[in-house]
Amino acid sequence: MSDPSTSEQTEHTLHPLKKIEIIVRGEKEPFVRDLLDESNISGYTIHHNVTGRGEHGFHEGRLLFNDRDSLVMFFAVGQEESIQTIVDGLTPLFEQSSGVMFVSDTSVVRLDKFLKED
Amino acid sequence: MPIERSVLRARIENAAEYIGPLWPLQTFNAANPLVGFEDQSFDQAVQQARQLLGGRGYPHPSVFRQAWENDEIDPEILTRHLADHGITQRPEVLLDRMESDDRSEPAPPSDEPLDRVTVKWLSAFLDQGQAAWPMPKRSDGFYAAWRAVAPYDNAVPSITRTADLPDTLLEAFEEVLASYPEKRWESIFVHHLAALPGWTGFIKWRARRGNTEWQEAYPITLADYLAVRLILATHLDAAVTPDRAQDLPANGTDRPFLPQIWLRAWEKSYRDRLLDTLAQANKDPQASRDRSPNSARPDAQFAFCIDVRSEIIRRHIEDQGAYETHGYAGFFGVPMQHQPYGAETTVKSCPPIVDPKHRIIDRPADNTAEAVDTYGWWTALETGRRHLVKTLKSNVAAAFGFVEGSGGFFGGAMAARTLLPSALFRLGTRLTDWIPQPTAFTEPTVDRPSADDADWENGLPVGLSHEAKVLYAEAAFRLMGWTDRFAPLVIFTGHGTQTPNNPYKSSLDCGACSGNPGGPNARVLAAICNEDAVQNELREREIDIPDDTVFLAGQHNTTTDEITLFVDDRTPTVPSDALAQVKDDLKAAQAQATTERVRTMNATVDSGQPRAAVRETERRAADWAETRPEWGLAGNASFIIGPRRLTETVDLDGRAFLHSYDWATDEDGTALENIMTGPLVVGEWINTQYYFSTVDNAAYGSGSKVTQNVVGKVGIVQGNGGDLMTGLPLQSLQIDDEHPFHRPLRLLTIIHAPTERVDAVLDRHASLVQLLDHEWIHLTIMDPTQNNRFFHYEAGKWTAHTDASHASAEPALAARTS
Repeated sequence: MSDPSTSEQTEHTLHPLKKIEIIVRGEKEPFVRDLLDESNISGYTIHHNVTGRGEHGFHEGRLLFNDRDSLVMFFAVGQEESIQTIVDGLTPLFEQSSGVMFVSDTSVVRLDKFLKED
Repeated sequence: MPIERSVLRARIENAAEYIGPLWPLQTFNAANPLVGFEDQSFDQAVQQARQLLGGRGYPHPSVFRQAWENDEIDPEILTRHLADHGITQRPEVLLDRMESDDRSEPAPPSDEPLDRVTVKWLSAFLDQGQAAWPMPKRSDGFYAAWRAVAPYDNAVPSITRTADLPDTLLEAFEEVLASYPEKRWESIFVHHLAALPGWTGFIKWRARRGNTEWQEAYPITLADYLAVRLILATHLDAAVTPDRAQDLPANGTDRPFLPQIWLRAWEKSYRDRLLDTLAQANKDPQASRDRSPNSARPDAQFAFCIDVRSEIIRRHIEDQGAYETHGYAGFFGVPMQHQPYGAETTVKSCPPIVDPKHRIIDRPADNTAEAVDTYGWWTALETGRRHLVKTLKSNVAAAFGFVEGSGGFFGGAMAARTLLPSALFRLGTRLTDWIPQPTAFTEPTVDRPSADDADWENGLPVGLSHEAKVLYAEAAFRLMGWTDRFAPLVIFTGHGTQTPNNPYKSSLDCGACSGNPGGPNARVLAAICNEDAVQNELREREIDIPDDTVFLAGQHNTTTDEITLFVDDRTPTVPSDALAQVKDDLKAAQAQATTERVRTMNATVDSGQPRAAVRETERRAADWAETRPEWGLAGNASFIIGPRRLTETVDLDGRAFLHSYDWATDEDGTALENIMTGPLVVGEWINTQYYFSTVDNAAYGSGSKVTQNVVGKVGIVQGNGGDLMTGLPLQSLQIDDEHPFHRPLRLLTIIHAPTERVDAVLDRHASLVQLLDHEWIHLTIMDPTQNNRFFHYEAGKWTAHTDASHASAEPALAARTS
């Protein structure tokens, strides 16, 4: 049993951050991963084999023998400046390659999880 | 001017879209050199590529002339196509006109001094073990390593001190790009990447697979390349942004022109003759019944790779007796990395568009200690010999004495290789009979090790889970539409080539295994299918494998047409008489298949000798001076998805990929979807590589083998330098300097399924629609619900096929005579 004198009050405050969701062809997964790895965010999630309809038509995700044409979705949360760096890298990419990104306001409880230690 | 790293990275990524990836020689993968242009129509893409890469997009007029003179282009079809575009002149006149137009095409400009210096440093940096004295400081990355040695380069006298050069990659870009707005960067990058598409294609491949041993040790990216090249350009007074790179290549015009019309007419002529042949072969209902799946149980069934070379050997095996054959992608649906016995590294053994999901290691089976020891003794001896020779050859002090002392031996060996290749082949065969081979005493690690012994590498687990085994076994049978009627013996047969002294060996191996032999994958699928637990689960899914069915694996040697069965003769899992019969029949099939193939290879054999053709192919398999051990996939023109009974009575001349499929057992279309998004896409890559290597061998192929040199163990250059060559050598495509063996036609896909089924797949896959709408492939449906009528996919619609009775009296495809 922990010592009540050393435990701190659990914090339930919500902290505002930005969330980015990115959908690209599987072929661009390494590019986006590199971009996220080099940005100042602490982590991200990848969904493989995403299905959906885009400007060029429908993309079925569950392909048994093709990892190149399937769609991949990333999402990540971070401070506005870090998300802006990612947006700066993706904006030129989407001039040429198909894909989308959505940036939105979000809130997190454990802020320290999303702040990268330099 | 500060540059945002993420923006720079994106601009380079965009520019690199115009460059096709180039795999290293050991895993030479077929790929469309214009893959980055596939989002445009074929015609616009080849016009853009011409501007950028200087490559021809349509066959040379002389190729059309030969096709015309050989009756491969149907006059009626051609006339109709020409008339559609308002052209009424005679074909011969048009051929002359095309030839005169062709001569007036200007040669693309060149940045020769800049290219020469860039290539020098690239080949030094990217060396993968060929150089005895490697470039220093490679572990710092390409830009940093070059920066350190650049002051010593006499070709660039203006660089005298390392300190003259920007410290970092980013500073290099800032220095060169300072006077250009961001919107111009991409065109600058495209120009400099396209200047050396071979080297940059290789860097693109290597940088994207950072887990390769060489990339980890000596990192290089396209940004490194561009930084070095742009800084060099400023020092050599070469233009950073030459006129032609003012903008990205412009979209091509929509102007119809003669080569486009002639190519389409040629393709339609091939298509109509093939459809006519298929229609003739399937119009007799009695014949169809004789070949129906309900007829007697066959003695054995083979599953071959869809590769066009399988079509020939399958025909001849079926001729030998009660044998059935199926076609499936040659990695047998198992996306794996393979570690052969005794090898320290793994090789990717699945298609280039699939990521491996498992690692399979060959390990000695139980009770094989004696064979393991014998093999180990011989390989240690061979390894020691190679090491000694390499050390002596590359040691400054020993090199001269070594030549003096060993000259006689090596001279003798050279003479034997040159003069007695057939004898060497027989000696090699006897040695492999005598020394136990790993396939005889090892088994693949199909099972997962226990949890505490789990062995992971690069995120890949060793072996397969039970669920994965069931998935791959079920996928194999569902995709082939083979859910009942199993013979006592089922043999999964991968394929590999046999050729010495041939840097292009992997281009002749299995394309579905990333340029490796497919035997290891066949072994894995056979081991999976022999498991009771897997069979029980398949039974619950209505794939009922009888208790007496045994699955074996084998490998088809595509040079000699020999089929080796991976079976331990001491403890065979099938009755020895049945096995002996199959082996005899495979030998007979080999003799017939090689007879058919040798006729196409400019070879003269004594037709009175029963195995003369086999001997000729064996010579080719052993001859170190043979530039054409086999034709590989040359000739490929169609991809047929349907049951074997549709094609088993016709001779498809080794030009068709054959993927087994039964629409009746694929109610939700999943099997068809997986075939169309997987093997068909790989087929398109192979077909476009052969197409472009044929239409412009200098830009998209690799020129004559006679003048090729291997550089850095990574690629091929012509002569002593220049860009890495990206495609196939002339000898793999042409009979001689003037006559192509491969006919450059875009892939014709024929699917035996209702049009609604195919529509449903296309509705879900925009990427397939793009390939069709942009005419990178053609598609025809043979609709079983409409009496096997043909429908063509044309501009998003189905057009009923009109009777091909007007086709030439000389059909390109003959019915099988046996």
